[in-house]
Amino acid sequence: MGTRDALELLPGTLDLLILQTLVRGAMHGYGIAHQLKDVSNGVLQVGESSLYPALQRLLLKGWVKAQWGASENNRRARYYTLSAAGRKQLAVERQEFDRLILAIHKVLNTA
Amino acid sequence: MRQIMCRVWYAIRQRRFEADLAEEIEFHRAMKRQELEEGGLKPIEATFATRRALGSTALAQDRSRDVWCPLWLQGVGQDVLLAVRTLLASRIVSTVAVLSLALGIGANTAMFSLVNSLLLRTLPVRDPQQLVLMSNGTGPRVSYWSYGVWDQLRPRPQLFDGAVAWSVTRFDLSSGGETRFVDGLLANGTFFDVLGVPPWLGRTFTTADDQPGGGSNGPVAVISYGFWQRHFDGAREAIGRTLTLDRVTFTIVGVTPPDFFGADVGRTFDVAVPLGDEPLIHDRNSWALPRSPSTLLTVMARLKPGQTLEAATAALRGVQPQIRDATLPEGLPPQFLDRYLKDALTLVPAATGNSNLRLQYQRPLVTILVVVALVLLIACTNVANLLLARATARRHEFSVRRALGASRWRLMRQLLMESAVLAGAGTVAGLLIASWGSQLLVRELSTQNVDAGPNATTNTVFLDLSLDWRVLAFTIGVTIATALLFGLAPALRASRVAPMDALKEHRRGTAGDARVGLASGLVVAQVALSLMLVVAAGLFARTFASLTARHLGFDREGILLVTIDTGRTNVDPTWRAALYLRAREAVLTVPGVAHAAVSSRPPVVSGPMLGQPLQEVSGGPPLPPNGRLSTLNLVSPGWFETFGIAFVAGRDITDRDRLGTPPVVVVNETFARVFLNGASPLGHTIKLFLPGPPPPPIEIVGVVGDAVYARSLREPIGPTIYLPLAQRDEVWLPFLASMNLSVRSSGGSPALLTKRVAAAIAAVNPELALTFRPLASQIDASLTQDRVLAMLSGFFGALALLLAGLGLYGVTSYGVSRRRREIGVRIALGAEPRHVQRLVLSRVSVLVVLGVIIGGMASLWASRFVATLLYGLEPHDPATLIEAAVVLAMVGALAAWLPAWRASRIDPAVVLRYE
Repeated sequence: MGTRDALELLPGTLDLLILQTLVRGAMHGYGIAHQLKDVSNGVLQVGESSLYPALQRLLLKGWVKAQWGASENNRRARYYTLSAAGRKQLAVERQEFDRLILAIHKVLNTA
Repeated sequence: MRQIMCRVWYAIRQRRFEADLAEEIEFHRAMKRQELEEGGLKPIEATFATRRALGSTALAQDRSRDVWCPLWLQGVGQDVLLAVRTLLASRIVSTVAVLSLALGIGANTAMFSLVNSLLLRTLPVRDPQQLVLMSNGTGPRVSYWSYGVWDQLRPRPQLFDGAVAWSVTRFDLSSGGETRFVDGLLANGTFFDVLGVPPWLGRTFTTADDQPGGGSNGPVAVISYGFWQRHFDGAREAIGRTLTLDRVTFTIVGVTPPDFFGADVGRTFDVAVPLGDEPLIHDRNSWALPRSPSTLLTVMARLKPGQTLEAATAALRGVQPQIRDATLPEGLPPQFLDRYLKDALTLVPAATGNSNLRLQYQRPLVTILVVVALVLLIACTNVANLLLARATARRHEFSVRRALGASRWRLMRQLLMESAVLAGAGTVAGLLIASWGSQLLVRELSTQNVDAGPNATTNTVFLDLSLDWRVLAFTIGVTIATALLFGLAPALRASRVAPMDALKEHRRGTAGDARVGLASGLVVAQVALSLMLVVAAGLFARTFASLTARHLGFDREGILLVTIDTGRTNVDPTWRAALYLRAREAVLTVPGVAHAAVSSRPPVVSGPMLGQPLQEVSGGPPLPPNGRLSTLNLVSPGWFETFGIAFVAGRDITDRDRLGTPPVVVVNETFARVFLNGASPLGHTIKLFLPGPPPPPIEIVGVVGDAVYARSLREPIGPTIYLPLAQRDEVWLPFLASMNLSVRSSGGSPALLTKRVAAAIAAVNPELALTFRPLASQIDASLTQDRVLAMLSGFFGALALLLAGLGLYGVTSYGVSRRRREIGVRIALGAEPRHVQRLVLSRVSVLVVLGVIIGGMASLWASRFVATLLYGLEPHDPATLIEAAVVLAMVGALAAWLPAWRASRIDPAVVLRYE
């Protein structure tokens, strides 16, 4: 089921969700996955094979920054933070996404 | 842009990135497991559940890698690795391919870098496009000007944005005895300024230094970077030090930049001094005087911004009458003066500088460039053949890959990548060969001829061979072209493999499929190209041989040439002739010397030829206006004996022929043929054109055999007159500044006489400047161009033969291996070994004969372009053509015989068992 979740997400939405999650502050990969699952009441379960490529993609684009730090149980973990460019991107994608949802709603609610 | 940097950073730190990612994922798993365990699962179950929940770690890592490095790029990387591995697997084939490509590409790069530095490169000065050379407008030769002409141009600055004049020369660093020459430059004061060459150290000289006898700082010199490094180890203290040049002391004021070699392409300079110091150096033989007839200056000008070549030429022609009138030479026959006045001054573009070497070597260089291009073509066909054979052997592999889903394009890419790796390796090795080869060639072109007189130079060839963008672009272009040339056909063919083939038996039993057809075509092309190269090698080798064997009219072995220069001594000019004769007497007493004689020129000189115009030959037909020049030599008694020149009639010059006795002359046979219609010249008289009062008639007392006096052995022998040295009056003094003493050893190498001869001459006068050189090496030097051509074309011809032989061998043995079964069956049915051999050889001989015919026709067509480089034979020389064809046939027979022999030894039992 882990691998199925990502497929069910609309393309590009994972990036948006990660960016949004990081608004609250620095977080490691597991934290992001956990947070997504919690907030969505277990609907959004993101597997490693989509989460980490997505994080790498965001790193490459410069929307997030990564830094090694100690986790809550004192292990070494990579923490991601939102960059200024990422914040801007979040706003743009948020807008796009809203338009898309609105459009889908309209289609679904028309006879 | 930032992303590209990130990607590059990723490529560099790939291991680190992947380790980080793995650690991160591991951490993720640990957290998940902990969470599940806290939820009440047992550790083992938690581990499995985690694995189920999170999916494949490898997939996560792969996808992450794809983010950083796009798939297609990863493919290229894989292709390169795979290509290298495949090529390493068949090491011998790859080595042969890389080596032949390296030789081909290396030879091309070497020749191109020579062509580039000699023909294409612009001078390393400011705005070289603005530079123009002043020429007589009478053909491609560089024009030289008298000081008088320059003296007329100098006060006319409105013509150009500056003009410069210089003369190349050599300076003797020694203060007596054997000479130590360096390359010298006599240049006017604005030379460095107008060319835009800043000093590397100190200062360059200026118009203030360019005054008669030196400026306020005395005689100053600017040295080149190379000389500075060699002589002063690049020490800053060199500025202010002094140099003795031809016995005159100069103060060094500056060093020029490393890339500046002067304005003559093909040579460099060590020391440059102002033109105004020339009278100090050459003293009574000075030519930098307004009335001097010597034309030794090259004149270059810089166009004003926006000024066109035509406008500048027009402006120059506007002042031409004044310049010509003011500089009319004395003592020349009227028709020469007429021509002098009429020749139109012309400006020619000079962005690439001035070069005599260019005129001499343009055609040979382009010829060799074509030759090496052909060699590269042959190498390409060879490699193409190798790859074709291998691609056929790998059909099975390809069809399996196709069946597994590789696209046609992917297979082609793979094969092209192998070609690219081969070509790349060949290029790297080729660049090494090129840098070594082109330097070797330049050394080979440098000769140390003995020139005499105040206008002598050292003949050291210098070319700036450093890599520039043109050479790099050329090499890269050649590499890509070769890779496509030899890689495309095998790649296309391989990509046509169908996936089904993998399932079928992949060995077909009979000959005649398309691959053999293409390979055969390549072999025919190879044979044809090699034949052309062998023909070229044969033509140049024969030319060289007939030049070396040319009857020179004298005995070239055992003679030591000694140039004696009195120009830098205090000897009274009127005593010079006597001094040379005394030096001869002294040398004659040296043990080991059989003969010795003094002459104004040795046979086969490299300097410009001076013709003596004749006014009249008594008893002969009237002289034509443009055919009355005769080569002139001033000789002492014993000259003909020393050189072994045969006497035809009359008597030799003797000690009794001196000033005050009736003037006499000895002429050669050509003289009698040209000026007297072949009648015996004895008793006739000649009159010369000389400055001063009309000279008396001179009686011809002897006739000798023809001897070569020329810069090149290929020039025909012209009429020659020999005048006794002892009968020369003041009119002749300018000719007597330096003379050649020719010493014939009584046995043993003439070079061994050097020390004793030097001592004997020093006993006469220790101040004389002496330069030694055996005549044989002087003659060798005059054959440089022909030797280099013969050597290079021979080398590449042999290389082509080797490559063609390899190609033939490869194709034949491949053909045999394909027909093993058929041959086995034939043998089983009773065919004898010689039948089998004939079967194989007949096929090859068809290819060779076809190649020879095509190559022969191409050679007949192409040889016309090298006609001017040949001597003693026609471009269509049938013997050369037949020999080349025979040589190729033999190589072909040898290359095909081995596989044929092996075919005849096929054991039918073994072959049939395999089926």
